[in-house]
Amino acid sequence: MGANRVAFWASGFIVAVVCLLGVAAPFIDYDPASAVDYDQQLVKPSMAHIFGTDGQGRDVAIRVLKGIEAFFLPGLLASFIAVLLGALLGAVAGYSQGPLRAGVIGLLRLLDTLPRLVFIILVVTIFDPSITLIAVVAAVLFIPPIATVIRRKVEALGSEDYILAHIAHGFRPSRILLYHILWLQCRPILIRQATFVFAYVLFVETGLSYLDGYGVQEPTPSWGNMVAQTRKLPSDVFWPWIVPAIAIVVTIAGILSFGNLLARRDEEANR
Amino acid sequence: MSASVPQKSAVPLLAIEDLVIEFDTNKGRRRVVDGISFHVHEGEVLGILGESGSGKTVSTLAALGLVGGTPGVVGGSVRLRDGDTVHQLLEGLDKVVRKREGRPARKNMRRWRRLVHTRMRPLWGRTMTAVFQNPRHSLDPLMTVGAQVEESVKLAEPDLSKDARRARAIEWLDRVQMNGPERVHGSFAHELSGGMCQRAMIAVALARKPQLLVADEPTTGLDTTVRAEIVGLFKDLLADRSRSMLYISHDIREVLHLSDRVIIMRHGKIVEEATADELRDGVGEREPYTASLLAAAELGH
Repeated sequence: MGANRVAFWASGFIVAVVCLLGVAAPFIDYDPASAVDYDQQLVKPSMAHIFGTDGQGRDVAIRVLKGIEAFFLPGLLASFIAVLLGALLGAVAGYSQGPLRAGVIGLLRLLDTLPRLVFIILVVTIFDPSITLIAVVAAVLFIPPIATVIRRKVEALGSEDYILAHIAHGFRPSRILLYHILWLQCRPILIRQATFVFAYVLFVETGLSYLDGYGVQEPTPSWGNMVAQTRKLPSDVFWPWIVPAIAIVVTIAGILSFGNLLARRDEEANR
Repeated sequence: MSASVPQKSAVPLLAIEDLVIEFDTNKGRRRVVDGISFHVHEGEVLGILGESGSGKTVSTLAALGLVGGTPGVVGGSVRLRDGDTVHQLLEGLDKVVRKREGRPARKNMRRWRRLVHTRMRPLWGRTMTAVFQNPRHSLDPLMTVGAQVEESVKLAEPDLSKDARRARAIEWLDRVQMNGPERVHGSFAHELSGGMCQRAMIAVALARKPQLLVADEPTTGLDTTVRAEIVGLFKDLLADRSRSMLYISHDIREVLHLSDRVIIMRHGKIVEEATADELRDGVGEREPYTASLLAAAELGH
């Protein structure tokens, strides 16, 4: 329990910092075009530039900070869409019978056959590369696994004595489904899935930005395209990419473990 | 809850006629309830006695519209009186069941479920509700006992404020003779003993203020002393005759202690119907099965 506690608060701290900076970043005035300064190229970390400057003389610290914008709101949007639609479709498929259930399950299976990363790259190639679009597509692709878990849970609980008792007492079906099943029983599942989708959006953003031309476009900063600069830098220059690279790893690990530990706490509190 | 005995109507609260229930098993269609009829009057306690598999539980679930399994109810009628209105709970059954010559009847389960749910929704809880066997599994594991009683109170008395609802819930927990109702209010089912869970379940059901309570083997799986306490609790709660009960059990002593009238079921049929007094005092000739039950309990002749 002790190690879990430390992990919980440590990952919680990471999530809190990311959220705080994610909320604050849009208020920082930064114009990537005018930040270019050819007199200050590849300056080592110092008091003036704590993380140094990149190949175009731009301050790395402020770009790391502004880079959060690239995934923060899209990530939240994706988590929200995936969990909301996943839970609702799962509940509908688990509760209803006949053509509706078959239709929803068929649709989910169809969506589930799409290879995620390849499909996202395809969409980005056809349409303009926009991180919001990527996030929405990622969210839609994550609906099937979430809906399937929820559907199984709803089906399993449907024959439980206490759900039968709730029905016999005349509790409203919407209340039983939304509160007793989705909120009370499925909350830990949904917490895990929400953080997973958020982390996936950061992962995809980084991956696509690393592949030139798919993700967030220069000069707008993103952690992914900052790391991608490595290719254009001399091998002894590490400061422009090391900070965003660490930030990616720490953020993904922090979010995933926070989601998992929060869900576990939620489960343990009730059992 | 008025102390005066309510005006008894000649029309029974619940009347079941020619009920037929079948289930598909891997050995084919099996008829588990074969044309039984019984009724419950207002303020009356009807005991249903029978061994496991006699069809007693499933016939009462049919009245509640909660029979699981395929095809379930395939024939008969269930009438439930709600004030002056009489609801036909199996109306439309003939439209979803297709009888086929020489082969088992087919039933459109989805249409039937929708029909039953639409019809029963305004009746569940208010007109009748149930206390099931296995009290541990009948309570929501993730909700405090108090919150569950409060859900019932909220539906039965929607105008109560939050504090009043809490007070009423504690009052109900006290009325089912729970030790420390305040403490139990904040407890989860896994923190309580089996007997306490069953008391809590009875509180949840009664807080809904049903006209008819179906108690389906409520003492099964409880210790002997706790069983006696639960039976005693039912006796107290029913003393003012303000509600009716269907008490299902395989224990003849419990049934005779609580019921006004008793029906005895075996293999899906009603073997015998008698008043509890007649059975206890050994008045009249008994069917051999009833006689053996009485003999086993060392009652009667």
